[in-house]
Amino acid sequence: MKLTSVIKKSFKEQIRHFWILVLTISLAPFFVGFYYWVNEASKPHYDLLILNQDKGVEYLSEKVNYGQRLLEGAKNYIKSTEIPLTIKTTGNKAAAIKQVKNKKADALIIIPGDFSQQVHDWQKGKAVKSIDLEFIGDLTDINYMVSAIWANEIVNDYVFNTTQKVRPLKIIETSLGISGKIDDFDLYVPGLLIIAVIMLMFSATIAIVTEVENKTITRLKLSKVSAFEFLSGVGIIQVLIGIISVLLTLAVAVSLGFDFAGSFWLLILLAVLTSISIIAFSLILAALTKSANEVLIVGNFPLLLFFFFSGAAFPMKAKALFTIFGYPVTIQGLMSPSHSIPALKKVMIMNMGLADIIPEIIALLVITIIYFIIGVWAFQRRHMRVQ
Amino acid sequence: MNSLFKMSQHLNERENIVIKVSNLKKTFGNLTAVDNLSFDVYKGEIFGFLGPNGAGKTTSINMICGLIEPTAGEVTILGNGSRKKTDIKTHIGFCPQENIFWPKLTCFEQLVFTGEMYGMTGKPARTRSKELLEWLGLQEKANVLAYKLSGGMKRRLNICLALIHDPEILILDEPEAGLDPQSRILVRNFIKTLAKEKTIILTTHNMDEAGRLADRVAIIDYGKLLLLDTPGNLKKSIGEGDILEIILDKDDQEHPGKMKDSLLQICDQVNLSGVSLMVRTKNMIESVSEITNRIKEHGFKINEMTMRENTLEDVFIHLTGRKLRQ
Repeated sequence: MKLTSVIKKSFKEQIRHFWILVLTISLAPFFVGFYYWVNEASKPHYDLLILNQDKGVEYLSEKVNYGQRLLEGAKNYIKSTEIPLTIKTTGNKAAAIKQVKNKKADALIIIPGDFSQQVHDWQKGKAVKSIDLEFIGDLTDINYMVSAIWANEIVNDYVFNTTQKVRPLKIIETSLGISGKIDDFDLYVPGLLIIAVIMLMFSATIAIVTEVENKTITRLKLSKVSAFEFLSGVGIIQVLIGIISVLLTLAVAVSLGFDFAGSFWLLILLAVLTSISIIAFSLILAALTKSANEVLIVGNFPLLLFFFFSGAAFPMKAKALFTIFGYPVTIQGLMSPSHSIPALKKVMIMNMGLADIIPEIIALLVITIIYFIIGVWAFQRRHMRVQ
Repeated sequence: MNSLFKMSQHLNERENIVIKVSNLKKTFGNLTAVDNLSFDVYKGEIFGFLGPNGAGKTTSINMICGLIEPTAGEVTILGNGSRKKTDIKTHIGFCPQENIFWPKLTCFEQLVFTGEMYGMTGKPARTRSKELLEWLGLQEKANVLAYKLSGGMKRRLNICLALIHDPEILILDEPEAGLDPQSRILVRNFIKTLAKEKTIILTTHNMDEAGRLADRVAIIDYGKLLLLDTPGNLKKSIGEGDILEIILDKDDQEHPGKMKDSLLQICDQVNLSGVSLMVRTKNMIESVSEITNRIKEHGFKINEMTMRENTLEDVFIHLTGRKLRQ
């Protein structure tokens, strides 16, 4: 009887906490739906750059360029198999490497100058060494790995069909930055640093919502302080907390063997900018909630999105909806960490400088400003305006 | 001469109006919380808002402070109709019904912080904070976190927070609510002291509080203004003289109305409800023995008898026919 009474009471309370119930049961379905939307509907695509240095070979008074034939064969292969790979040719190695470093291409394949000669030698059974092809890329990048696997398949298929020999090909893999030297732990540290900042979402939102919960917001409404001044003041402290959190995470990682490369100050800059953007996002969350309990429930939605779809926990490839000055705009791009993580990887893995991460910084600033404007407007409207 | 004096008095009042409330109305869905409220508050007076819980006092106060927007009507403060303007905010100090403070700040810290929010700079804010803590007997708690204070101390801190920016108008919503007798006397004296230099509006459902503190009292119920005058005039409005409250040993079932008629020959007002009898007359001391004799003549015994002056509760009962809802 008592059990029945408790069940009835608990049921009534759950129903009356309507929004909490709805949010709790809708979180996982929402997550599945969002994953499908981002991952399946956006159809990831891979870009392969090929630098053909092949000089060709004379055979039966005819000039033959097997490198060029490989390129054409590869395009036909992609067309017939419909794999999501695009091949672009390049004539400048340095520019191509920069494109790969800036994630505008996923891998670079260099067809050597003696490629035709070696293929010819293998055809005639005169070969004294393997046919060398150079694959260049960020070895920590899953997009490179996928592109390289397909490229390897295409090239091997072509060489086998041309020479009728098994395994004449030797792939020389050249890693960019320190990507060839780092282990899994090193690979995940940049993402973990951003996760440290993402976690600010809760502390920043609760710091703001506490004023609503304690009703001290009434005192602020009665005073001359503006929503902008109040939220900025709270935000600055949260930025400091974010920096401390990042430094502590980094210190722990380094003490456990993380091989830190790149500019420390660029890391701090990115940590500060990401913290500001997360705090700006927290203003939106604060506008939607009235208590710390609500923050912990409602906050799970953006937290999971930021964790799993911004690239912080694992890499995500999304199709660009459009580009602005060559910078791809994706659905994930609405989440600020999706800009800071590649920038951080450029700095920490590719050892790149400030000039190389300017597009990410601009994107981060734009998103932050959008968050901030929406957040201040919504907070003012929900919690600070005259009713 | 007399009319000239009245005209000059009227002009003075107009000049001294600090708050003008005109046809103020607030509805929440189907509920009309405040209904066509109009009154003026003069400079330097203590204006009491008396009414039961749910009468619309706090809603009216929130509209005066600018915390909620009226559905209709207008509030003019110091001649300015827009309370959204930040310069008006500096003229009002509001002590809400609930104790609102930052629990993790000390008393001193939150006073300084609040002062700075009103545009005060560091040193004046600190000096003012110290003064207020001293005036309200909290100087020893200056460095104590607010959540550790007792209920009475929290209430006093709440008043300090309303006064930090030295406003011309102080609005106190139930200032004595939850106070122990000692703190109540302290706060009451403090309000009286403040009244010399500030205009004070206080809401209360405590008639004693309103009667003792207010220069004028507005009685409201169901959002409507029932009466507005000085406590003395309000009490007089329901009849002059003192009141004798008597508890009889039985009710008047045998000869209904006979005793009442007999008492009305010597008293101005007689109310009989069950065993409770209330009589009012101007010369109560002289009339008491005659009243008791007449009661006994009609076969009643007196179990209990109390003599008192008119109270604001009597006024409220007279106006509404019922007691103040607690």
